[in-house]
Amino acid sequence: MNHRRPIALVAALVLALPFGAVAQEAYPSRPITVVAPFPPGGVADLTARPVAAALEKVLKNPVGVVNKTGAAGAVGMQFVATSKPDGYTLLLALSSISIIPEADKIFDRKPAFTVDQFAPIALISADPTILVVPADKPWKTAKDFIEDARKRPGQISYSSSGIYGTLHMAMELLSDGAGIKLRHIPTPGAGPALTAILGGHVDALASGPAVVLPHIKSGKLRPLAGWGDKRVAALPDVPTFKELGYPDAEFYIWAGLFAPRGTPEPVLARLREATRAAVGEPEFKAAMDKLQTPIAFKQGDEFQRFFDADAKRLAAGVRKVGRVEEKK
Amino acid sequence: MLETLGNLGLGFSVALSPSILIYAFVGCLVGTLVGVLPGVGPLAGISLLLPATFGLDATRAIVMLAGIYYGAMYGGSTTSILMRIPGEAASVMTCIDGYAMARNGRGGAALALAAVGSYVAGTASVVGLMLLAPPLAEFALRFGPPEYLALLLFGLLVLAYMSSGSMVKSLAMAALGLLLGMVGIDQMSGYFRFAYGFVELGDGLGVVPVAVGLFGVAEILATAGKATPPNVIKPRLRQLLPSQTEWRESAAPIARGTVLGFLIGILPGSAHIISSFVSYALEKRLSRHPERFGQGAVAGLAGPESANNSATSGAFVPMLALGVPSGPIPAVMLAAMMVHGVSPGPLLIQQQPQLFWGFIASMYVGNLVLLILNLPLVGLFVNILRVPYPYLYPAILVFSILGVYAVNGSVVDVWIMLVMGLLGWVLRKLDFETAPIVLGVVLAPMIELSLRQSLAMSDGRYAIFVQRPISAVLLVLGVGLVLLNVYSSVRRSLDWRARLTLTEKGEEAR
Amino acid sequence: MRIDRASGVALVLLAAAVLEESWRLRLPLGTLATPGPAYMPAVLAAGLLAAGVLVAALSRSTATLGGAGWSEWRHSAAILATCAFVALALERLGYRLTIALACVVLLAAVERKPVLPALLFAAGLAGGTYYLFDTVLRVQLPRGPFGF
Repeated sequence: MNHRRPIALVAALVLALPFGAVAQEAYPSRPITVVAPFPPGGVADLTARPVAAALEKVLKNPVGVVNKTGAAGAVGMQFVATSKPDGYTLLLALSSISIIPEADKIFDRKPAFTVDQFAPIALISADPTILVVPADKPWKTAKDFIEDARKRPGQISYSSSGIYGTLHMAMELLSDGAGIKLRHIPTPGAGPALTAILGGHVDALASGPAVVLPHIKSGKLRPLAGWGDKRVAALPDVPTFKELGYPDAEFYIWAGLFAPRGTPEPVLARLREATRAAVGEPEFKAAMDKLQTPIAFKQGDEFQRFFDADAKRLAAGVRKVGRVEEKK
Repeated sequence: MLETLGNLGLGFSVALSPSILIYAFVGCLVGTLVGVLPGVGPLAGISLLLPATFGLDATRAIVMLAGIYYGAMYGGSTTSILMRIPGEAASVMTCIDGYAMARNGRGGAALALAAVGSYVAGTASVVGLMLLAPPLAEFALRFGPPEYLALLLFGLLVLAYMSSGSMVKSLAMAALGLLLGMVGIDQMSGYFRFAYGFVELGDGLGVVPVAVGLFGVAEILATAGKATPPNVIKPRLRQLLPSQTEWRESAAPIARGTVLGFLIGILPGSAHIISSFVSYALEKRLSRHPERFGQGAVAGLAGPESANNSATSGAFVPMLALGVPSGPIPAVMLAAMMVHGVSPGPLLIQQQPQLFWGFIASMYVGNLVLLILNLPLVGLFVNILRVPYPYLYPAILVFSILGVYAVNGSVVDVWIMLVMGLLGWVLRKLDFETAPIVLGVVLAPMIELSLRQSLAMSDGRYAIFVQRPISAVLLVLGVGLVLLNVYSSVRRSLDWRARLTLTEKGEEAR
Repeated sequence: MRIDRASGVALVLLAAAVLEESWRLRLPLGTLATPGPAYMPAVLAAGLLAAGVLVAALSRSTATLGGAGWSEWRHSAAILATCAFVALALERLGYRLTIALACVVLLAAVERKPVLPALLFAAGLAGGTYYLFDTVLRVQLPRGPFGF
């Protein structure tokens, strides 16, 4: 019997190895992955990279970015929603995280994921969209635009980043709040949507400020109003729809960090604390500055409140749009 | 003109400074590498390397990323010619005649011609980019959905010239490809089509997994099991250079491919892929020996290879002049500029002359570097043909899987590639060509979207297609081309009948 | 059976399946002025149906299905099965382990090459590509259990 004992011992050790490692592990002890559900070069990716770099510095642990793209972000979000809640797989999501499950509901689809599968860590940035029109169009103010749209329902067209996409939802919230009807021309993304308005194929566009700012400066596009609760810093003369009396037209393209629901509280706490420190890093500030995206850091209850209010607005918006095909 | 020369001088002073030169070189090298690796195309290469450029300044980053883009077009032909595996999607047409040339023992010549064609196209199109960027960009923007639809329908006509076999069969394959392109979320209404619960299919079937599957994997499936594996070709030095006839035959196709590629490249969309298809069709139409296409026609290699290269420069036109992306790759490069605090837009050329002219000059330098890099590599790469196939194909499979997986980090793409490989293998046995399927997958989503966008713009009136001058002209041209073809084929069959009756009469008389 | 007949019939069946499928998925067809999500698929399926009929009807080829030369099918099936294994295992076993296993199987079992060179080749390829992509290019490739 004696000669068998070492083998049994080794076997027991090997079996215990993975479990032992988990039990004693201090977080973080292996590389963390931040999933960006959009392709490289998009807002999510461009925010995720500096966030990951800053987190890596704060946590003194490798943090990498993986682009899991597809289906307007649903693929990556679903991936994180169903991954192990151990704090090693995080999600950098945009506003569309609240839109996709609602759109799935409209089509009676089994939702790819639901918002309560995620535990919010922190809001990184939130940029209101602004309404721009080609400079050769007659509308000088948002009032002109809305009055004209009221006179000619369904005649003024706008491009968007796709149906139920962020740029579409912004316009829908406005049309609903102002009681106007516009003609929607979806395109495959924010880039093509911009190309459409610059080519004069559509009359209006709701867009993030950074994307259209150079075209406003060169005099090709004219900003009319913004969707924020404050004016955009780079465009101090452009009013908000709130000021103009359309309080429902509030919309932000925001980026936030999430973990799968069920991540242990100490890990979440460590991540929140690390993110707060990361956002303060000068490199991170410089990176966001170059992207012309102001940092809007919120965490804990504050982020949760923002997130809930935003999700409620968007859900209502998606339900208003409904199934486009069946309305005609 | 004088001003341009002065600016170019400034550009070269930037581009030739050692610190920029080294990044142009690295970009070209990496581009050649990602182009050579099957499955890893320029988009994957640029996306993967984007984070690595964050530490550089804007000019260096852009020069390096651009080097990857046009470098990949040089490299993409290598595996297409040697192994019939498209290194990237725009090299699909190179697979056909390039591979046939390699099997005829002209692999080295094919690689050399592809490199020279790419160089001529790359350099000539930069001249176009330099002199014509602002006016051309304005023109490109006037291509809205109706114009785009007219152009795409024009592109569909190309199919008629693509096949060397039965016309009906290649039309059937085109219809199949177009149908495959329908998979995914309907961009106009948000419906999921033919996705069967796979969220990953929401964006449709990617061109890369489909092309690598239909060509690369299918080739391996058909070849690996043959009783006699493909014989190892030992290239001799003399055969590495194209013959005088081959040079002569390729000159005009290279010139046509360059102009065509540049013009198509300016337009928004996946233009560089389409440009190679159109160039192939054009060469076949103009050739005095269309029957040679598919059997190793030099023109069928030189035209598309030049076209896909000059299309990359064309794609930079709207990006640099207006700051709008003309496709997924320029979009990534625009993002890279933003990361470096350069706001792309109409004012870029005035505000950042060093960046713009340095970039232009670096493209001249880069193309030269690539030519110098690629010609000696021809001698190296043809040695791949010496590797015994049982060792070669597992390596090709690994790179294909890796490349297809890495782009989206999605195993579903690997499955798509495998299914397409099986399909391609079966279709080969049934004597079908697979290139029309790839063209169909590329065109279908664009055709559908631009049709429905146009109708949304016009409130359902089809008159929009003839009211807008550019689309009207394109449609008239297309209809004219079809009529011309019908006429000539009718006349040919009449001729044939007439000859037949003559011979019959002659026989009767005997 | 002649290959063109067989493939023509297969295409017609596929087209019919697409038509039936878009009806069953309840995709709205839309109108001529506002084409719906099922509009293009229906048009294309009709085109494929016509093409399938023409392929079967106009065939002049005398090649038969059995004569198309399927001799290598065992080999092809083995390669496809190995690739399918890679697709299944990639995110479970990790990149390096999966690729190395697949290469060993392809070389040693399918191609009947000596085991030692096969092992070396597999290890080199898996390790080399992992180093190039994951370590140098920082594209995160899947790791399996035990972090490998």
